[in-house]
Amino acid sequence: MPRTDDVLNNNRVGPVMRSGEIAQAVIEAAEMDNPGKAITVEDMHAYLRISTDTEMILTRESIEQCLGRPFRMQELEINLSSFAGKIESGTDRFRFYFTTKM
Amino acid sequence: MAKLGRNAWYDLTRATNWTPKYVSEDELFPEEMSGARGIPAATWETYDEPYKTSYPEYVEIQREKDAGTYSIKAALERSAFVDKADPGWVSTMQAHYGAIPLGEYLASIGEARMARFSKAPGNRNMATFGMMDENRHAQLQLFFPHANIQRSVKWDWAHKGLRTNEWAAVAARSLFDDIVTSRDAISTAIMLTFAFETGFTNMQFLGLAADAAETGDHTFASLISSIQTDESRHSQQGGPALEILIANGKKAEAQQLIDVAIWRSWKLFAVLTGPLMDYYTPVEARKLSFKEFMQEWIVAQFERQLLDMGLAKPWYWDILMRDLEITHHGMQMGIWYWRPTVWWNPAAGVTPDERDWLEEKYPGWNKRWGRVWDVITDNLLNDREALTLPETLPTICNMCNLPITHIPGDDWDIKDWQYEYEGRLYHFGSEPDLWCFKIDPERYKGHLSIVDRFIGGLIQPATLEGALQYMGLGPEEMGRDAHLYAWVEKFRRAKAAAA
Repeated sequence: MPRTDDVLNNNRVGPVMRSGEIAQAVIEAAEMDNPGKAITVEDMHAYLRISTDTEMILTRESIEQCLGRPFRMQELEINLSSFAGKIESGTDRFRFYFTTKM
Repeated sequence: MAKLGRNAWYDLTRATNWTPKYVSEDELFPEEMSGARGIPAATWETYDEPYKTSYPEYVEIQREKDAGTYSIKAALERSAFVDKADPGWVSTMQAHYGAIPLGEYLASIGEARMARFSKAPGNRNMATFGMMDENRHAQLQLFFPHANIQRSVKWDWAHKGLRTNEWAAVAARSLFDDIVTSRDAISTAIMLTFAFETGFTNMQFLGLAADAAETGDHTFASLISSIQTDESRHSQQGGPALEILIANGKKAEAQQLIDVAIWRSWKLFAVLTGPLMDYYTPVEARKLSFKEFMQEWIVAQFERQLLDMGLAKPWYWDILMRDLEITHHGMQMGIWYWRPTVWWNPAAGVTPDERDWLEEKYPGWNKRWGRVWDVITDNLLNDREALTLPETLPTICNMCNLPITHIPGDDWDIKDWQYEYEGRLYHFGSEPDLWCFKIDPERYKGHLSIVDRFIGGLIQPATLEGALQYMGLGPEEMGRDAHLYAWVEKFRRAKAAAA
């Protein structure tokens, strides 16, 4: 079992999504929008924790491409149960980030 | 005519501060309600909420959330999951519904405080949505259990629980009154939305959703994880308030508000969520232990975000990390032992397999709590049920209103932290509980714990029956062992096989 301070000292950011079609699209979009970064997915059945190091961008364009239909970023809220890091929410992209690095 | 995107007009329409002509600014925003702390209105106007929505978007999205949640309920209702579910899981739901829904209405009051009195227009705007969110949560969580009242009156505690003087309800109200309904707008943004909602509600609404999905309770998993999507948005009101306080020399005060809210929330979740996750949920459906969920949501996610804001770990961090392994095991034992005093049927959760799981997740469990359960198990094996039922009162902490508990057995370290104030002796379950009291004794001094009331003669007749009546627990409502001691038979069979 990890020591609690090791758990605290992390830079993981990203959305926690209710499982389903949108979560799957977000996983794919995270890969497309954050080239060169490793995207981690922890599947807890009821929710999926999608994360990467320090900053994650999600764009409307990529999610639309993955879903194969128009998508408004606000719709993300229907399945965005939580997130790690801070958030910036726009109509064309969401950003999850930390300003400090551990 | 094409509609402008939200980004094009949001900042302009949010700028709703004006210069009052008929009253002074202090009359419009009394300090005790606004909590501006001498920071000028112009500075509060720089408050920029990071998770934005507009009214048309809000209505459309919320409608869609509700349509999803209600349709899952309707689709699965015929399968009568509740009738097939493990009694421990039924108790999990009954405990949840008795403690939470009316608390959501209290959260609406907290949101309304910000919507009216915050000097930050962005805070007022988001709190208006937050107020409606909390109404949605209360209504959903009153409606869903209502379908089960035909099965047991215990489901009615969704409506009844928080209105009674049942001890867990008193503890929950004490927390909600302290950090949700009785603070100024900015303190509410920090204690309710930042500490409680960015942090702890994830435990009950996502951690427990993971267990629910494993148990097969998809209605409950869908319901609570949908509720948390609202929390995820409106909990973001605390961050920008913190930034303004820190930038204007109020960092120490902000830290203190957070530290009080985290400690008090922790204690309530230790008594409510801890036993549900580690003892009531069928062992094969436990996705993670309570401690592991705490590490995921509170340590790795919430506390890390706090550090990113430029704040520090609470001074009691080491105590909290140690207590993740301890507090809820004592709470579980207390709830089960005093089972007639709760509205749900507590599951013991200590079959041989479950004890193995507890020992694996909490090394040393058997030599601490296991030894006490050995005595209880032995009494039940030998038809001495009376010895497993309460005849005395626990000592109750005057801050969290929960029993004072810690490690039993050889490592016994239970301590009553006493403090005398204006001639009255107060009892606390820990150093941080006492610290919360000392910060503002005037705020807390009048409150009587359920045992204070009993000893003070406010509960009559002064018997267990009188106490149960005072707590609103009729014969059909008071708790009994969830599995009617079926778990004891596993020990009897093991004993017979060994003989």
